[in-house]
Amino acid sequence: MLTIAIAKGRMQAEALALLARAGVRVSEAALATRRLAVEDEAGGYRFIFVKPADVPVYVEHGIADCGVVGRDVLLETGADVLQPLDLKIGGCRLAVAAKAGAGGARAGVLHVATKYPRVAAAHFGSRGVPVEIIELSGSVELAPVLGLADCIVDLVETGRTLAENGLAVVETIAESTARLVVNRASYQLKAASVSKLIEALSEAARGEQKQGKP
Amino acid sequence: MPGGMRYHFGDEARLRRAVEAGALGVFDGWGYEEIATPAVDYYALFERGMGREEAGRAFRFTDTDGRMLALRADLTSSVARAAATLFAAAPRPLRFCYAASVFRQRPRSHAEWKRQGRQVGCELIGAGGAGADLEVLAVAAEVLERLGLRGRCCFTVNHVGVFNGLAEELRLDPEARERVRRLVDARDAAGLEELLARRAGGETPALAGRLTRLSGKREALTAARSLVSNGRTAEALAALAQVWDAVEALGLADAFEVDLGDVSGLDYYTGLIFKIYVEGAGARVGGGGRYDELTASFGRREPAVGFVLDTDAITEVLARAGVDLAGGNGRHFQSVGGESLSERLLEAQRRRARGERVRLAL
Repeated sequence: MLTIAIAKGRMQAEALALLARAGVRVSEAALATRRLAVEDEAGGYRFIFVKPADVPVYVEHGIADCGVVGRDVLLETGADVLQPLDLKIGGCRLAVAAKAGAGGARAGVLHVATKYPRVAAAHFGSRGVPVEIIELSGSVELAPVLGLADCIVDLVETGRTLAENGLAVVETIAESTARLVVNRASYQLKAASVSKLIEALSEAARGEQKQGKP
Repeated sequence: MPGGMRYHFGDEARLRRAVEAGALGVFDGWGYEEIATPAVDYYALFERGMGREEAGRAFRFTDTDGRMLALRADLTSSVARAAATLFAAAPRPLRFCYAASVFRQRPRSHAEWKRQGRQVGCELIGAGGAGADLEVLAVAAEVLERLGLRGRCCFTVNHVGVFNGLAEELRLDPEARERVRRLVDARDAAGLEELLARRAGGETPALAGRLTRLSGKREALTAARSLVSNGRTAEALAALAQVWDAVEALGLADAFEVDLGDVSGLDYYTGLIFKIYVEGAGARVGGGGRYDELTASFGRREPAVGFVLDTDAITEVLARAGVDLAGGNGRHFQSVGGESLSERLLEAQRRRARGERVRLAL
């Protein structure tokens, strides 16, 4: 049996729909319960639902063989996991955003509020911009509005939240979609089931893309 | 206690020692001599032996004369130096084995929290060619067999020439080579195809885009050989085919996989590379390969091949599976009472001589 960790929230429904098209179905009844671990109807897979940032943790330790998680999380955690498949769902981008029309840094150091401290530090570090990273765990858009930071580094899906708070994207750091990640040991020890899943999901993801972008 | 340090005791400590004894027993049977290396050495030794990045994880401190020292971060560096210096005049090949603790101040990843680990391994120095490669693979397989893990382990084999030949054929500069290597390492097929397609000028070798997907038994090698278009990669595939012949002849094919997407340690290894996985361990429990360049940095260039196993990871797998290699779990002790201390000591001695386990009542 393969254990698959799914990132709760934003991407969960899309991921389960994609898996269903790949022939891995979880019954509505099982999902309706609040259990955090459920099996698929055929009994070949066990799903665990965890916070996005925890998906690479479960996979890296081999507690989950595979996982579905956004590239943004993988960039931030730098997890040592295999990434055999771009699932082409949950598309969004990691971007720098600031108050529309705002000037640069105060006093020579750019104050950056973010849930992605590593991505932000690497981004500004690579261009030699001195920054002070302010790590927040939510509602990052507030920081520039209230003057906590000059700009933010955050996940942008439609840009609506930004616009509603008077912010605009300054620069895109990276595009992000959901990835299938696989534990290095499981990839070898459960090679047959893992490659079957990769095949099926890659087929389903291709179908999805054709449907989505005619 | 500092982070990443721990105690081992009781059944686990016995099991750990039994794992080590099992491995050392196999090495002994193949004629490997045990060697103990210094626990403290010059940092430069590890820097030369492991590369700057790996060595940078070591615990470092300074000697009285200001030179940088490090706690033993690996065994191979030190064994290679001994081969080139202390054993310079000894007849080749040299066969060494060891069981020792290694220390890393910074762990490799967040999945790895330990900073002290125990390694058991062997090095075959001064012998090149397929014979030496196969000897070391056979020794490793026998160690896993001895530990009762034969049916639960998977060896992956590859040859660094497969990737290096392709990188040459693609005429990649070091930076692009590293980007391609990382994509292959993560098995990111789409990312790899995209990067290769973006590459300006020249035809892309068919094999390059397929590297992430070429793993399996002999058929993976056959598929790769039908796609190969440069001499160095072809040579590497031929060497792997020879390894596979021997793996089949030894009846080990069920526990072995060819994995052309294994591209770790390319700066260190020069030929065969292999990794060892065991069911129940979330990361590999060992690995090794041929490193013909290492001894040159100690003044004597000669071929070398070896492997190392993570004693703690294997112990953990065995402990969780309830394996009792040491035959000591739930041990019984006789209690010895009596009138005077000397009577009790004498009685205990008599029983000990009969092979009983005795604890004095104090």
